[in-house]
Amino acid sequence: MVEAGRSPNIEILSNANLLKLEGQPGAFEAVVRQNPRYIDEDKCTACGTCTMYCPRPIADTYNERLNVSRAVHIDYAQAIPATYYIDPKACMRVNFETCTLCAQTCTAQAIDFSQQPKELILNVGAVILAPGFGRLDSEVLARFGYGRFPNVVTSLEFERLTCASGPSEGHIVRLSDGTTPKKIAWLQCIGSRDETCGNGYCSSVCCMYAIKEASVAKEHEPDLDISIFFMDVRTHGKGFDESRRRAQEKYGINVIRARVPRVDQVDGRLALTWVAENGVSHSDIFDMVVLSVGLDAPEDALPIADITGIELNKYDFCRTSAGAPLSTTRPGIFVAGAFQGPKDVPESVTQATGAAGFASELLAEARNTRSVSITYPEEDAALMAEEPRIGVFVCHCGVNIAGVIDVKAVRDYAATLPGVVLYENMIYSCSQDALKTLANKIKEHRLNRVVIAACSPRTHEPLFQETLRSVGVNPALIEMANIRDQCAWVHAQEPEAATEKAKDLVRMAVAKAGFLSPLPPQTVPVTPRAIVLGGGAAGMNAALSIADQGYEVVLVEKGDRLGGNLARLKWTWDGQDAQAILSDLIKKTQNHSRITIKLNSTLDSINGYVGNYVSTLQTPKGIETVEHGVMVMATGGKEYRPKGYLYGANSNVVTQLELEERLSKAHRRGDRPVAPTLKGVDSVVMIQCVGSRGDDMAHCSRLCCAQAVKNALKIKEMKPDTRVYVLYRDIRTYGFSEDLYREARRQGVIFLRYELERRPEVIECKGDRPGAPTKLAVRCFDAMLNEDIELPANLVVLSTGVAPAENEALSKLVKVPVTSDGFFLEAHAKLRPVETAAEGVYLCGLAHGPKTLDECISQAKAASAKAVIPLAKGRVAVAPIVSKVNQDACIGCGLCESLCPFNAIRLVKMDKRRKAETITASCKGCGICASHCPTLAISMGGFTDEALFAQIHAWAGLALNDEKRRRREL
Amino acid sequence: MTQEGFNPHILGFFCHWCCYAAADAAGVARYQYPPNVRVIRVMCTGRIDFRFILEGFRCGADGVFTGG
Amino acid sequence: MAKMKKSGAVLVLGGGVAGVQSALDLAELGYYVYLVEKKASIGGVMAQLDKTFPTNDCSL
Repeated sequence: MVEAGRSPNIEILSNANLLKLEGQPGAFEAVVRQNPRYIDEDKCTACGTCTMYCPRPIADTYNERLNVSRAVHIDYAQAIPATYYIDPKACMRVNFETCTLCAQTCTAQAIDFSQQPKELILNVGAVILAPGFGRLDSEVLARFGYGRFPNVVTSLEFERLTCASGPSEGHIVRLSDGTTPKKIAWLQCIGSRDETCGNGYCSSVCCMYAIKEASVAKEHEPDLDISIFFMDVRTHGKGFDESRRRAQEKYGINVIRARVPRVDQVDGRLALTWVAENGVSHSDIFDMVVLSVGLDAPEDALPIADITGIELNKYDFCRTSAGAPLSTTRPGIFVAGAFQGPKDVPESVTQATGAAGFASELLAEARNTRSVSITYPEEDAALMAEEPRIGVFVCHCGVNIAGVIDVKAVRDYAATLPGVVLYENMIYSCSQDALKTLANKIKEHRLNRVVIAACSPRTHEPLFQETLRSVGVNPALIEMANIRDQCAWVHAQEPEAATEKAKDLVRMAVAKAGFLSPLPPQTVPVTPRAIVLGGGAAGMNAALSIADQGYEVVLVEKGDRLGGNLARLKWTWDGQDAQAILSDLIKKTQNHSRITIKLNSTLDSINGYVGNYVSTLQTPKGIETVEHGVMVMATGGKEYRPKGYLYGANSNVVTQLELEERLSKAHRRGDRPVAPTLKGVDSVVMIQCVGSRGDDMAHCSRLCCAQAVKNALKIKEMKPDTRVYVLYRDIRTYGFSEDLYREARRQGVIFLRYELERRPEVIECKGDRPGAPTKLAVRCFDAMLNEDIELPANLVVLSTGVAPAENEALSKLVKVPVTSDGFFLEAHAKLRPVETAAEGVYLCGLAHGPKTLDECISQAKAASAKAVIPLAKGRVAVAPIVSKVNQDACIGCGLCESLCPFNAIRLVKMDKRRKAETITASCKGCGICASHCPTLAISMGGFTDEALFAQIHAWAGLALNDEKRRRREL
Repeated sequence: MTQEGFNPHILGFFCHWCCYAAADAAGVARYQYPPNVRVIRVMCTGRIDFRFILEGFRCGADGVFTGG
Repeated sequence: MAKMKKSGAVLVLGGGVAGVQSALDLAELGYYVYLVEKKASIGGVMAQLDKTFPTNDCSL
């Protein structure tokens, strides 16, 4: 988010509404009205004086109205734009021409009541709609006592209560009396899966966030008694089931399967009554009830649809289809995030990048015509050459660090270290206003070395380096002390020892900082070509997107044809012909002039780095070498092959995909399709989670529930009197596919839940008379009857789920790790869902984890958008941590050349002598050469011998003293 | 010196890409471990010159932890 | 038909996590972005979340 505030190519128009949109794809004209903040963004220093003096209290909406704010305020400390804002609805000056206290107290004279709404006319080539989701009607919440009983809160309110910067500073309290509750209940599906409030869909995210909130609550208050009332536990996200299991085991959260119809208040406590699965009625008393509110369509969905001319679905979300999930009904306008359908953060982020990819395809010819580039001030060589003037900034990271470590003591300790001229604390050093402060401090105190004691340099060093560059200091002159990830977080129970450790880490960082020297930034050109591995739905979509954005693609498929798993799918869940989507995709891929297809081929080796990879492919014609800048891995997954359930032994036991294949061989009779495979079939039993969520595969395969329901409905359509049973553990028809689940129940499909310990069993029974063919039946436990029952079945269908492909070899080759489930691991589960540990290598489709066709397509677009970024830039920056050979000291022994794992050192003749030389673009900065050079002729940027020895000695400073003390004590 | 109450001073050299990343991940997962290791980050264990390790011991380390 | 000249700018409506991510990627891809948010600050609901699963990172 901070990055968005810093990018010169993003103009943030806050307080603004879209009024009009005219034109056509490539050339729209948008009219946007920007309402006044009444505060000059350039002058405001975000000091907060105005809020202190403002006499007009308002409810703090950022804190879910649990706190009081003032008419002039900022939503939260890290808000962007980092400027205060006057709420025109509440301000007395704006409404009644009285009171100008804020203007009088503002020393920056930033308050300006003369500001008027501005209408801006913007020429844009494409539009992306990401208005998010809306709030439920309070009427829906009122049914559960919300508004009447103070201790009934929404999940978002609870989120603010647990937050350290929230209204109760992270203490969980009852709103009625401020006491800590002992017993809390979460009620799921509030405003979701509920036709009575018009929201028939599943909101997809509430099950997981309820478990998260319950876990956080237990961390705050370990003695809490927590129950969550689910209809189904829908933790279908990647790694979510694992998190749920851990949370349940670790925190002892009570999972109750029931829908609670209402909440009553009894003696200031809350009474819940519910009916359990076995039909028995229960009731219990709680201190607090949290309503897990669902995601509604955005409040302004209708005006947005009206202004942009797009269509909505029946729930007022944006209308899209499974084959084109990010396209609205109007060309050139794309959609991303919850407006497309309720979804969690990773899917929103993926769609957002995917939508950017769509816009980039459309506007490829206009790329770089409107963008501007950042120019940095020239580096101050004289300042950098001076003796180290070190500034130490110790970050609180809210309570993440300051809650454990005495950050003020660490700051004061830094003052005693040699070379330190400035030492300060920062609440959130990575926030935009803090970065601004940092830049000013560097200038003001003429710092030429900076030490940030905060989180990990792996994640945050680039951000601080940018700040250094912005004030003319070489980005190499920063050192971070990791006092959060590797100190405060891991020594939470030992605050004193953690503070001592933080001091040591700061001392070591300061010592190293003294030996840092400026390193010139380096860039290398990019080979404008991509390799896409895998010719399924994800791979073809990725290849097409990259090609449409203007770059060459080599599409590598190990099989003898394109199509992958999509070739076996017959219908999408929203009823589209999957094979029509596929053949269209294949045709486009085959006909694209920038795509080269390599069938029966695999990746044999890959060398290089982002922008400059050289790979070899094993093709039918032998080994081929390809130079490319980036790679997309879309190698897919496979159908799990079931064990047991008489699969393979009885031909009437099939998988869902096999069923789909059989059903697709139907012909029409009258107005109804008739499938020969259903002849004589009057009873079908489907078994969910065969393979998934069990011993063989721990993960949830995500798509099987919707697939089973879809096929059950297909059977009902073809032969309505067929009895169809679905044996399940949790029905996970998330999002709009919940409609199918409801429709299936309406049409008489019978759903029976089973427990993992009592898996259904497929049995063969003898025919009723001698010689008759054996019959199939499924034995399972019925909770209602509390006994085992046998369901006769002509056909047993196993929902087998998605297994990972054989990813180990590729994982080693590309150096992208796989998860414990065998799927490739993304760079960050939430925020970098299509990037990987290998820079320039991206991930999409089933290779990343089980997902539906529309999710595969969104992810493929996202992966290709990310892949095009380096290609479009044309050059990539190389971290200046490379090795450098002092050729005067080099004796040309060649040891470094022979040891370098990246072939990044070569020997050259200089004055008839052999000297080593670094090939900067290939060097990864590992330092093997430097640690082995017999004449110490090689130094590593940022990791010189001097710097590392200084760090060792700084560490020893305390250790030696301690040693002496220990001896004295003995 | 007895085994009891022995609080060793450990110096760590961690590879940026794996062990250092793993130590960050341990923090994200809030794993708790004794606060007696101090880490020096290097871009690869290949960078660790044996002189660094010897210097660590000479300066009083009870143990040197190289992770990569 | 004369070939229309395409614009190298994109309008993103909504400053939540999806809008911000779209804007960042478009900027990286070489386009100019207008990020239109109806509220006074960007970030959307994600900025209100205390922690996010499964890593429990801070959500900013």
